[in-house]
Amino acid sequence: MAKTVFDKEMFLDLVVNFIPLFILLFFIVGYTVYNPFGIDTTFRSLQYALIVTPFIMLTILTYLSAKAIGTSERDAPVYLPGGATVDGAEPVEEHEE
Amino acid sequence: MQITGQLALTVVMGLFLVVIAAWLAQIEDWRSYTPIGSGGATGESGYVSKEKPAGISRWLTTVDHKDIGLLYGAYGVIAFVVGGLMIMLMRIELLDPEMTLLSNSFYNSLLTSHGITMLFLFGTPIIAAFANYLVPLLIGADDMAFPRINAIAFWLLPPGALLIWAGFFPLGDIVPAQTAWTLYTPLSAGVGGGSQANAGVDLMILGLHLTGVSATMGSINFIATILTERGEKVTWANLDIFSWTILTQSGLILFAFPLLGSALIMLLLDRNLGTTFFAIEAGGTMLWQHLFWFFGHPEVYILVLPPMGIVSYVLPRFSGRRLFGFKFVVYSTLAIGVLSYGVWAHHMFATGMDPRLRASFMAVSLAIAIPSAVKTFNWITTMWNGRVRLTTPMLFCVGFISNFILGGVTGVFLASIPVDLVLHDTYYVVGHFHYIVMGAIAFAGFAGLYYWFPMFTGRMYQRRLGKIHFWTWMIGSNITFFAMIVLGYGGMPRRYATYLPQFATFHQVATLGAVLMFIGGLVWTYNFVVSWLEGPKVQDGDPWNLREDGMYTNEWQWFENKQETALADGGDEEEAVTDGGTTEAEAEAEAED
Repeated sequence: MAKTVFDKEMFLDLVVNFIPLFILLFFIVGYTVYNPFGIDTTFRSLQYALIVTPFIMLTILTYLSAKAIGTSERDAPVYLPGGATVDGAEPVEEHEE
Repeated sequence: MQITGQLALTVVMGLFLVVIAAWLAQIEDWRSYTPIGSGGATGESGYVSKEKPAGISRWLTTVDHKDIGLLYGAYGVIAFVVGGLMIMLMRIELLDPEMTLLSNSFYNSLLTSHGITMLFLFGTPIIAAFANYLVPLLIGADDMAFPRINAIAFWLLPPGALLIWAGFFPLGDIVPAQTAWTLYTPLSAGVGGGSQANAGVDLMILGLHLTGVSATMGSINFIATILTERGEKVTWANLDIFSWTILTQSGLILFAFPLLGSALIMLLLDRNLGTTFFAIEAGGTMLWQHLFWFFGHPEVYILVLPPMGIVSYVLPRFSGRRLFGFKFVVYSTLAIGVLSYGVWAHHMFATGMDPRLRASFMAVSLAIAIPSAVKTFNWITTMWNGRVRLTTPMLFCVGFISNFILGGVTGVFLASIPVDLVLHDTYYVVGHFHYIVMGAIAFAGFAGLYYWFPMFTGRMYQRRLGKIHFWTWMIGSNITFFAMIVLGYGGMPRRYATYLPQFATFHQVATLGAVLMFIGGLVWTYNFVVSWLEGPKVQDGDPWNLREDGMYTNEWQWFENKQETALADGGDEEEAVTDGGTTEAEAEAEAED
C-alpha cells in the first residue's frame, strides 16, 4: 500500500485550519461550562448546532482537500502553481512552496 | 379582426428593428479586440475565424470563453461607472445637512441602486470576467465545460440591469425602489406608506433574480470546468491560487444564490399574489432577514475570495518570489468558504434574537477572522526581502492589503456582540464594508485589469497615468472611509439623507475623498480607452519580465503562442515598455521615478 499522505509536513500545512477549529472548540466548551442565559432545550440545541456544524464541515473539507492535494503531490510531478503548461516547465522541489 | 393603426405601427417598428439588426450584423470593421492569432484577417471577410463571424454578430453569438470574459468585463465596468456616478450625486448632496440638490426619495433610490449595482452588476460580473478569460487558460482547458451555458449566463445580465434600473427610466408611474439593497420586510413587502408598493420594486426584484440565475449558471460551469477540464499536468497540487478561489467561490454561489432566488420569489408572491410568507402574523420580521443573510454573508466572500486570489497571484510576480505559504492560502480559502455559512446572523445582533444563538454566531465570526488574517501575513511575508517592483498592478495589490487590514480589523470589532450593539446601523459599518468592497475588492480588480491589460488588448497602458490613478484612489478611499468610521463613532446613523449639523465636517471630508476617487476614475477611463486604441503594442509574450524570476505562467504562455502565430502586420509601432520593464532609452527616466 502506498505511503500515507498525512505526514508531518502535511499537518504543518493544515495548522491554518486547526486554529479556527480550535476557536470553535473553545466556544463549544466555554458555552458548556458557562451558561448565563438559562436552559431552553430548543435554543440550547440550536446554539450547539450552529457551532458544531461548521466544525464538522470544516473538518471534512480540510481532510478531503488535504487528501486530494497530498495524493497529487505523491503521484504526479508538482509544477509551479499556474505554470504547469509553460513550455519546458520543470517540476519544483517537493514541499518547496 | 380590424387592424388598428397602433398594431400596424408596431409591426412596422418590428420590421424596422429587424432591418437594423441585420444591417448591424453585416458591419465587419468593429474595431476592438480581434484574435489575430486565430488565423483570420479581420475586415476582409465576414469571419474572424472559421467558427467566428465578424462584426457585432461575433459578440452576440460568441461562445468563446475569452470573448465572454471581455463581455463580462465591459458590462462590469459600465455598471461600475453607473454606480460611481450614483454615489457622486449622493456625496455631493451630503455636503450639506439639509436636502438641497436631491429629494429625500431620490436619495433613497440612489442609495438602493448604488448598493445593488456595485454588488450584483459590478462585483460579481467583473470577477466572472477574469474567471472566464483566465481559468481555462490557467488550467490548460480548451474552453469552459459548457460554452453555451456560459454565453446565456452572461446574456441574462443586461436585462437584469435594465430591470434593476427600470425605475430611473421614464416609464409611466414606475419609480425606483427605495428599499435599500437588503430589501428588509415588511417595508419591501409593500406595507405602509411611500412608494414601496410601486412596480419599480417588483422590477428590481425580477432583475436581481435574473442576475442570481446568471451567477448560478456560471458557478456550475466553473465547478465543472475546474473539476473535469484540467490539463494532464495541472493537478490539485499545482492548481493556481486564482482557480482555487474561483472554485471555492463557485461552491458558495451554488448554495447561496438559489436561496436568494427562492426568497425573492416568496417576496414577489407576497407583494403581488397575496401570500403571507413575510407577514407579521406569519413569518414575522425575522424570516426575511434570516433568509437574506444566509445568502448575504456568503455573498461577501463570493465577492472577496477571487480578488484575494488575484492578489495572491499577482503580488508574487512583482516580489520576485513565490507566494509564501501557498498551501496556507489554499486551505484558508476553503476554510473561509465553509465558515462563511455559519456567520449570517452577525448582521442581526441588534434584532433581539435569542442570546444563545447570538453567542454562537459571534464564535464562528471570530473564527473566520483567522483564515483572512493568515492570508494577510502570507502576502506581507511574500514581499518581505523580495525584489519588489512597484508597478501599477503591484501598487493596487499593496493598497488592497492596507485597506483590507483596516476593513478587516474594524470588522473583527463588529463581530463582538457588545461592540456591535453600540455601532450597529452607524456609519462605522458603512466605513468598514467600504474599506472591503471598494478599498480591497475593487483595488484587486484593478490590479488584475492592469496586470492582464497587455493580454486583453495586446497593448500597454500609460504607466504614469496608472500610478496617478492608484494614488488618487488610495488617498481618496482612505479619506472617505476613515471619515465614515469617525462619523460612526460619533453616532451618525447610516442611510439617512439628512443629518445633524455636528456631522457636517466629516461628511464634507468624506465627499472630498469621493471627489478624489472620481478624478482618479476619469484618469483611469482616459488611460484605458486611449491605450486600448493607440497604446504601444506588446512585442513579446512576457511583458512583465516574469521569466527572469522563474514566475512565468500558463496564461502568458498562451499569449506568447498567440503572438508568435499572429499575422505580421508590417507596422513599425513604437516598442512597448511595460510598467515593470525598461528599455535603454527609458532607463534614465525610470531611475528618476
